Amino acid sequence: MAERGRLGRQAALAFALAGLILAIPAALLPFVTLGKFGRERTTILTDSFQGFWAHGFESLGIWVLLCGVLAPIGLLTLLVAVLSTDRHPALQNLNRQLRRWAHGVEYWAMPEVQVLGVMVAFFKLGDVVQVFVGPGLWCYGAMSLFTLLAWRRFNLQPRQERVALLSGRASS
Amino acid sequence: MSETVAISPGSTPQSAALATAAVVMLFPAYALPVMHLGILGQTASDTTILSGIVQLWRQGLGGLAAIVFTASFLVPLLKLGGLGWLLLAASRKKSKANPRRLTRVYAAIDFIGRWSMLDVFLVAFLSGAVRFGKLASVHPRPGAVAFGGVVVLTMLATHQFDPRVLWAEARRSDANNAVKI
Repeated sequence: MAERGRLGRQAALAFALAGLILAIPAALLPFVTLGKFGRERTTILTDSFQGFWAHGFESLGIWVLLCGVLAPIGLLTLLVAVLSTDRHPALQNLNRQLRRWAHGVEYWAMPEVQVLGVMVAFFKLGDVVQVFVGPGLWCYGAMSLFTLLAWRRFNLQPRQERVALLSGRASS
Repeated sequence: MSETVAISPGSTPQSAALATAAVVMLFPAYALPVMHLGILGQTASDTTILSGIVQLWRQGLGGLAAIVFTASFLVPLLKLGGLGWLLLAASRKKSKANPRRLTRVYAAIDFIGRWSMLDVFLVAFLSGAVRFGKLASVHPRPGAVAFGGVVVLTMLATHQFDPRVLWAEARRSDANNAVKI
């Protein structure tokens, strides 16, 4: 049981680190390139936020940035921090606090929904423009997958740690 | 270790207020256009959530239309219907509903909630990427704000609801039975 828990923890840490590393190229590399009558336009991940912001829908832009970019990266960072500090007796209070934040942030992190939204958009565009998938989208898709795997592994940790989390909740 | 958290008495009315606001927002969300698509040589058109689904269907993308219909139409309605059921059960002092079943309904609502964001991400991506001036452009429309509001409000309402209130009556009757014994 302890061995399974240790492996689950290590797997969760590995998935979270992989997702966090992939977040950098996902945010910086070309997301999608669109072409129309010889003109090309290359977008990056944060252009979805700018699409709303530039048209006067600032609050919706911030919401999209939060759920699609900031919350997933925040969740991965928190998972790495939680799983790196859970074996240090001196850091248990901090660890409990980080766990609570991770559970709060996870509710708003939706990279997998954004990936599906972009896929639907590709089909919707149909013949309107030519679409070329960039490396940023592949990295974002992989980051999304690693986020799901890391969170699932994190939630499958041994019961003792869940009890610790619940008692941490109770003391708040 | 056995310390417990008291159920907040305000959680059910707060959840009900948020769910009611979401119901109000549903009307503009489905009635107003969520985006405007302009393509050279074609008539510019405003697209609502439902007309977007119909367009996908007409393009021969039935499967995709079904996904968008589920995420953007069925899920918000199911969430609000389910929340309404839970709130009614929580507000009745002697509810006959099975708390285990209601807790499962709550878990399902909590799980499906995020998928309603599909259309918001879709409009965000299109309006950020399709910017070719008069050749082709996509602009967001106020319906997107209303629909985003529905998603946020339903998620907040679900988050605010404390499913332990569903077990309060069962606990009370257990305690009464124990006293009788």
